[in-house]
Amino acid sequence: MGAVELPDQIKPVMQNGIPAIVVTCSADGIPNTTIISQVYYVDKTHIALSFQFFNKTIRNVRENPQACVALNDLEGNAKWILDVQYDHSETEGPIFDEMDMQIEAIASATGMSGIFRLRAADIYRVRSFKKVSFSPASLQGVTHGDTGYTKQRASG
Amino acid sequence: MATQDIQSNERLVEKLAQKTAEVHVLKHIALNINSTLDLDQIYDLVLGTMDEFFGFRHSIILLLEDSDTLRVVASHGHENQPLGGTVPVGTGVIGTVAKRRRLMRVNNLRPQRAYFSTIRRRMEEAGRASELGKIVPVPGLPDAESQIAIPLMIKDRLIGVFSVESREQRTFSDDDEALATIVANLAASAIQNARLYRLVEERRSELAEAHDHLKQLNETLEDRVSARTRELEQTNRELRETQVQLVQSGKMASLGMLAAGIAHEINTPIGAIHSNADVERRAIGVIRDVLQDPAFPEKLRDQPRLKHTFKIFDDINRVTLEATERVIKVIQSLKSFARLDEPELELVNLHEGLDSTLTLINHLTKDRIEVVRNYGELPKVQCYASQINQVFVNLLTNAAQAIKETGTITITTHQDGACAVIEVADTGGGIKPEHLDRIFDPGFTTKGVSVGLGLGLSITYRIIENHRGSIDVRSELGKGTILTVRLPMAPPRSYLAEDQTVTVPLG
Repeated sequence: MGAVELPDQIKPVMQNGIPAIVVTCSADGIPNTTIISQVYYVDKTHIALSFQFFNKTIRNVRENPQACVALNDLEGNAKWILDVQYDHSETEGPIFDEMDMQIEAIASATGMSGIFRLRAADIYRVRSFKKVSFSPASLQGVTHGDTGYTKQRASG
Repeated sequence: MATQDIQSNERLVEKLAQKTAEVHVLKHIALNINSTLDLDQIYDLVLGTMDEFFGFRHSIILLLEDSDTLRVVASHGHENQPLGGTVPVGTGVIGTVAKRRRLMRVNNLRPQRAYFSTIRRRMEEAGRASELGKIVPVPGLPDAESQIAIPLMIKDRLIGVFSVESREQRTFSDDDEALATIVANLAASAIQNARLYRLVEERRSELAEAHDHLKQLNETLEDRVSARTRELEQTNRELRETQVQLVQSGKMASLGMLAAGIAHEINTPIGAIHSNADVERRAIGVIRDVLQDPAFPEKLRDQPRLKHTFKIFDDINRVTLEATERVIKVIQSLKSFARLDEPELELVNLHEGLDSTLTLINHLTKDRIEVVRNYGELPKVQCYASQINQVFVNLLTNAAQAIKETGTITITTHQDGACAVIEVADTGGGIKPEHLDRIFDPGFTTKGVSVGLGLGLSITYRIIENHRGSIDVRSELGKGTILTVRLPMAPPRSYLAEDQTVTVPLG
């Protein structure tokens, strides 16, 4: 699948502060779902996720670069489903600095500087995306851990 | 399609109008911000305009206080937060912006804070609280959702941070960021100019103050130099007096010892001569008695040569006795004057001291000056006898020397309350009025180099002063001079205490 271009209207969705869902899969096919605080817009074909801890998500994408990111657009009553592929990690440069600065700003004021430390900005190439609309009523009782999104196995 | 074009054009026109308005506002800020050097006016202009024209309701300006701390100097829309709050560099959005010197725009602060707080709570629940740092309160909206924080830079140097906040999500657009950045840059320049101006004004004020002070110092310099010169002259005079007194005291002590030695050496042979003369007188009496015996031939008894010889014996014997008595009296005066055996403060009969002194200076008064002793009732006075004797010597010697040929020295004494008064009046030539103020100065004399050193009255003055007494002079040219000394019958206790360091007792 080739790269596609993200529309500008997805930018505010990435900055709306609503945690996103990231789904990865290990090399032997075991999926994992996690919540991350923010997805960073890099350019029309790339997004970045923060790598702060050695967790299952990080291990999975190092084994299997395919991942799926679900963004919640409450104002637009929609979800944005991004099919992405891990490209590379950056430990310096403007993207890293931007992400690092935001983490430091919040962590330092909440006494978490020793906990939250950006190890790398993991850059993902967007392979495809789709916007799934839903009615506001369907959000009743929806939590961050239950997005209504059906987990799918990453394709190769 | 045409409808879409129209709508597009309308949006463009609207955008253009908005941009034009923004440019006008920015121009307004730029013009006004540079028309004042008052920091408070600059803050009001920046924060007020941002609110009024751009809808930035909550804004704050912090200036770098030192390398680690930012302090709030202006605040808008934070009614409950007084100025003066601080932010550590490196803490929170503002502190991080200051640390990295980079603009930061956050549009989802609350969820991020909530996320971090959730993690924190879970760690605390998991017993990992020791890994956590302290929560640092920062100025601004506690529930801000969006924030733009811009470093205030002058060239490469950070001077502060300008921050705007909102409780709404995604409030700040790229346009807002650009706008706030322009205003922040204008504010940074204006703040720096105002601070420099204030610094210059402070320096100028300090310089003016220093100049005034210097001017005042210069104006009073002459007076102070004069005063200091007077002080130095006075100190010098006192030093000289002290020195003179010490020298004179030393001399007097030597003289006293010499006089005492001479008196002792002369006393014994004179005593022998006097005693022998008396024995001789009595032996001659025995011979006369023997000659009156009827058995002695009358012819021999009436021999004229024998009678003449007896007369010679009588005359010689009388002269010898009178001469030795005179010498004995002089020796007693010398011993009394020197007082070698009595160097302490004691009760002294001043009349005896005056009489001894008159005996010693007899050679100055003999045959030409009549001395009248007009002594009154005077109890003994507590003083240093040898020093007071020195005073008497000086006063009486001066009086005798003031009388060129013949005249009278009248010594009058009496008690006046707690003081003994001794008055020495002479019928000499008197003192010129222009000299009256100087007669107690050391070195001042009218007697000529070969006659006096000009130390007598100076020493007299100092001795009497040390006894807490006083000395006055009255004089009339051609008629004479009266010197009046007043001595306390008993000097005050303080005198006794400092006595040993102030005076050098004679002998």
